[in-house]
Amino acid sequence: MKALWGGCLLLLVLPVGLAAQHVAIGPQVVFGDYREVSSDLHYRGAGIGAKATLEWKKFSADIALSKVKYKPTGDGTATAEFDASEVDIRLRYYISGPVSGELGFVNRKADPEFEAQSVGAITAGAQMAYLLGPGVRMALRGGLMFGAKYSGGGTTSGLGALQLGLGLTVDALHGRVRVTGDYGFQRFSRKTDDGSGPLPAPIQQSLSRVGFAIAF
Amino acid sequence: MKAHALVTAAILSGSTLAAQTIQNPTLRRAQQAFDNLDYRQALSGGHAALRERLTGFERARAYELLGFTYSGMDSILKAVDAFKQVVLLEPERTLDANRTSPKALSAFQVALTQVLVVRQLLVDSVTFVGGQGVVPLRYTVTQPARVVTRVVGGSTSLRVDSTVATGQVNIRWPARLPNGDPVPPGNYTVVVDATVGQNSFSTSQPIRVSHGTVDTLAHLTSLPGYTYLPETEVPPKSWRPMGLALVYTGVALAGTSALSNGDLGSASMREGGTIGAGIVLAGFIMTLKKPAPQPARGNILYNQLLRDQITRRNAEIAQENTRRRQQVALTVAPVPRAGGSR
Repeated sequence: MKALWGGCLLLLVLPVGLAAQHVAIGPQVVFGDYREVSSDLHYRGAGIGAKATLEWKKFSADIALSKVKYKPTGDGTATAEFDASEVDIRLRYYISGPVSGELGFVNRKADPEFEAQSVGAITAGAQMAYLLGPGVRMALRGGLMFGAKYSGGGTTSGLGALQLGLGLTVDALHGRVRVTGDYGFQRFSRKTDDGSGPLPAPIQQSLSRVGFAIAF
Repeated sequence: MKAHALVTAAILSGSTLAAQTIQNPTLRRAQQAFDNLDYRQALSGGHAALRERLTGFERARAYELLGFTYSGMDSILKAVDAFKQVVLLEPERTLDANRTSPKALSAFQVALTQVLVVRQLLVDSVTFVGGQGVVPLRYTVTQPARVVTRVVGGSTSLRVDSTVATGQVNIRWPARLPNGDPVPPGNYTVVVDATVGQNSFSTSQPIRVSHGTVDTLAHLTSLPGYTYLPETEVPPKSWRPMGLALVYTGVALAGTSALSNGDLGSASMREGGTIGAGIVLAGFIMTLKKPAPQPARGNILYNQLLRDQITRRNAEIAQENTRRRQQVALTVAPVPRAGGSR
């Protein structure tokens, strides 16, 4: 929760300091699908979020915050709902053509703490962006998540945590407003060992964010 | 008879002219006798007229009458002598080959080669920039002779040419003073002196030299044959946005399905499908939408080159105009003259 508040503070402070750069910030509606350990622990939910984008020369950064209230689906055995608060920060450096390199950090907290796994990891990957038309951009990104830490313990191999993303940005009102849509998929091939040997306890989340942002 | 008819025609043409100016009755009677083919009477009349007081024109007509009469009587040598007198009196005199008998014509040509005259001095009317053109002069010398051509006017006397020549001579006069300056405006006379031994002949042609300003060149706003090209161009409609949107969405959804853990059941496509549908829709709209004009780099460079070329050419024109304002346009035109002189 501290991270979420810290992220909110960052979203408010950064546009002031970087007003001379390209900055966009705005709210989002978030809805997602969360699964853990087996298909029986299946949740779906919706919530709110915010996203800020900063651009400076070849650098850019995305800071996305969200809070989703996940509820158990009818096809599973889960009974309790929980809130997932997520902070996703990505720093990007333009390399060539449509390709940019990404380095970031993701942290998701579950509340109540024991209803789902809280997780934090370092992310690294690449993004391919393409201008569909005037003011319309789409981006496809993918990467690995390293050093994942879980509130319930467990480990993940080097290539066991993956993420995939798809994004769309449409400029409106001469670029002062941006309509945004983002999709993010995370999979952690988590393994736990209670002394009887490693057991698979995977975590998987699909999250969509739709909203708008004011560009400065 | 044919020869007589031709001679008569030639004389008639002369008679028409002579009837206006020939006042001497003896010469008129002699010409009447020639017209009646009474050559003996024409000869005696012609000689008698020459012994009387005649104008230069009448004297030339009298010798010409004798030349034609002797030609008609086949006395070629005497005809040549008579025509020589005609040439000396009227160097510019020519006979119409279509209206003169061959005998008289050949006698006249022989007479031309036996006297030294400079005929048909012509100065072409011409306009040019001082120092960049010439005045064409030409004349005909009937015998090989030292011919000196001069231009005389006021205190100016310029030697244009000195040569030994015969036949037609063509000279190009640059109309410049010895120091290179254009000749000042005014009236001049082109004088041609021909000398062979003791014989000499001189003829002249008045000319008028006037000065004017040299036209300047207009600045260019475009190069002939070259037009500016549009600096933006609308690219052709393309399915590329739609295609790429499908590819990106497909990769994202397929990746989600492929990366999904099998123990967790089939992956949810709701979230990815929502955003993917939005991207495909945006790609479809962008495909249908008229593409925004794009800068045409080739055309921009071409226009820049064209502007540079015009600027460079205008700079050259400005320099050329500066030079032209310091130049003078010479106009040389012949002035009608009274005739040649010995």
